[in-house]
Amino acid sequence: MLPPGDAPAPVLASIDARRLGQLEQHDTLAARNSRLRPGDLLTLKVRRSEVAAGSDIYQEFEVPYQKWMRLLDALNWIAENAAPDLAFRWFCGSKMCGTCAVRMNGREVLACWEAVEPNMVIEPLRNLPVIRDLIVDRTRYEERVASLEPWIERPKPYAEFPEPLTHKQMKNASQALDCISCMCCYSACPVIGLGNLTDFAGPAPLVQLGQTALDPRNDPGKVRRSIELTGIFNCVSCYKCEEVCPAHIPIVSGVIEPLKAKAAQLAPEMARHSFALRDIVARRGRLDPGELVLRVQGLQGLRNLRRIWRLLARGKINPFKTLLGIKTSAAGAAGRLLNGAGKS
Amino acid sequence: MKFAYYPGCSARSTCAELNEATHLVAKRLGLDLVQLESATCTGARELRAIDPAGFYALNVRILALAESHGLPLMTICNTCTLNVLDAHAAFVSDPELAKSVNARLAGENLHYSGRTRISHFLWVLHEEIGEQRLSQQVVNPLAGLSVAAFYGCHITRPPAHYGFVDSRNNRALERLAEILGCQPIEYSGRTECCGFHTAAHDERIAIKLTGKQVLAAKTGGATTMVTPCPLCHTVLDSFQAEMEKDIKQKLQMPVLHLPQLVGLALGLSPEQLKIDRHMVPAGVLDRYAAAASNAPK
Repeated sequence: MLPPGDAPAPVLASIDARRLGQLEQHDTLAARNSRLRPGDLLTLKVRRSEVAAGSDIYQEFEVPYQKWMRLLDALNWIAENAAPDLAFRWFCGSKMCGTCAVRMNGREVLACWEAVEPNMVIEPLRNLPVIRDLIVDRTRYEERVASLEPWIERPKPYAEFPEPLTHKQMKNASQALDCISCMCCYSACPVIGLGNLTDFAGPAPLVQLGQTALDPRNDPGKVRRSIELTGIFNCVSCYKCEEVCPAHIPIVSGVIEPLKAKAAQLAPEMARHSFALRDIVARRGRLDPGELVLRVQGLQGLRNLRRIWRLLARGKINPFKTLLGIKTSAAGAAGRLLNGAGKS
Repeated sequence: MKFAYYPGCSARSTCAELNEATHLVAKRLGLDLVQLESATCTGARELRAIDPAGFYALNVRILALAESHGLPLMTICNTCTLNVLDAHAAFVSDPELAKSVNARLAGENLHYSGRTRISHFLWVLHEEIGEQRLSQQVVNPLAGLSVAAFYGCHITRPPAHYGFVDSRNNRALERLAEILGCQPIEYSGRTECCGFHTAAHDERIAIKLTGKQVLAAKTGGATTMVTPCPLCHTVLDSFQAEMEKDIKQKLQMPVLHLPQLVGLALGLSPEQLKIDRHMVPAGVLDRYAAAASNAPK
């Protein structure tokens, strides 16, 4: 390790509270690469699946650091020098094939594109069955993608040739085309982590679908049939997928939200929650949570009487305001802006 | 120090105590807040997907209202913060969008030039008040109070706004807790999702996502949780009875809004901060409250 004096002290002109912790936690590539020098011993705790009979264990390895060492280099060093039976996948070694994703200290990374850290816990991706050690079975994902039929259908003859198509129209689809199917997002998604609780397809299948469903040439009926199978409105918008995407695809804002917009257009029943919110805000200026729950869940929203009573007792809901549809001081502006030209 | 203040919908309804606590704490800190009364909802997560034009109009209008006062904008909700940040970023990078939104605002004599600075209350504490001045104002250090910080999502992700390689490296809440004299704990839930945005149509997601995190806070030794987001608060506090049923364990974990924790350290009483308005009783915090005789008038 570098003694503290060796590295130039990073200087902040003033506190940027949005990034507090970034420096002390070495949360930049430069900071991470300056923490190690050749010969330093790295510690890797690698999750093995078949070492002890029937139980997962973490096997510890020490690996000598070499300059610019990637996680993949460390895994290869282990395979060559310490554990020839360690199972992990990789092919291109250059962020193209998407096969080497693992979890490093609880975060999804591509082994070929991640700088090593002094201490690392290395685990297989979550939300997919483990075949052995760091290798997961991708069948579940592949079947889901296939079920969405992510291709383009053109039932009508082409309007003209070449077809008029702008960069702006293709922006979201082409961002989705950067996907290398590495499954980092699928592993990071907390809703996928809940198993079969919902029918949510998850970020990776949605990105695959977005490649064609967000292409304006695709047949709307085809797009609707695919989106109806995705459970897309169960996305919680946590941005964990965007955070880990090695291709830097804006998965939430550039793929999931545009797909939700398609759903709202082509299969409005899927977006009932969104339309109800929009309508309440347009009419009353601000959101009344009671009205939203009643409109989305109907009488189901009243089934937990104990909670409703407690909410009432703490003054957290106001049935008079809700039922009388009392407008707020923002109602005028909201009505003008949401009921006018922007209606879509 | 003066801010245009946007409380959002939660702090004006289910979490009204958050709005009251924010005003009380701001006053004590010498922050002058001009509450934007005619500001609309920012559209939560729904409007931005199904009606982008409407989303930009509502959010840019909030930024224009702040600009009309010549003030920076202070928010207290994670999702509202991200919405105005996103609208601002789109506005300054897309001249066509900027022109069309301003045309829609012209009827009200509002105009946005792209210059409003956006700051969540948590950032205001660190950047405007500052560690030194804040610690001088702490008349009731919360010594021995172990706090589990629950950031939520939209104050630390996406990376495009906050710049973290790993959003778990955010320390803004822990550092603040230390200034107030508390003992922040490490646990798995710090930057996890509360599931609020799907709760109106399926509460089970929120209950499943948060139960294990509240349990982790409890087993980690936390006396209370604290969050900078009223949406997270709603799930962590109002759904806790359902989480207990789901994980078959007692949690009874009080959850504070960020200004309530700050307020306790500044000598405000739990009654003033409306801590009794939460669903999970927070009586355990009474012993950390300033003795009535010591409380500043």
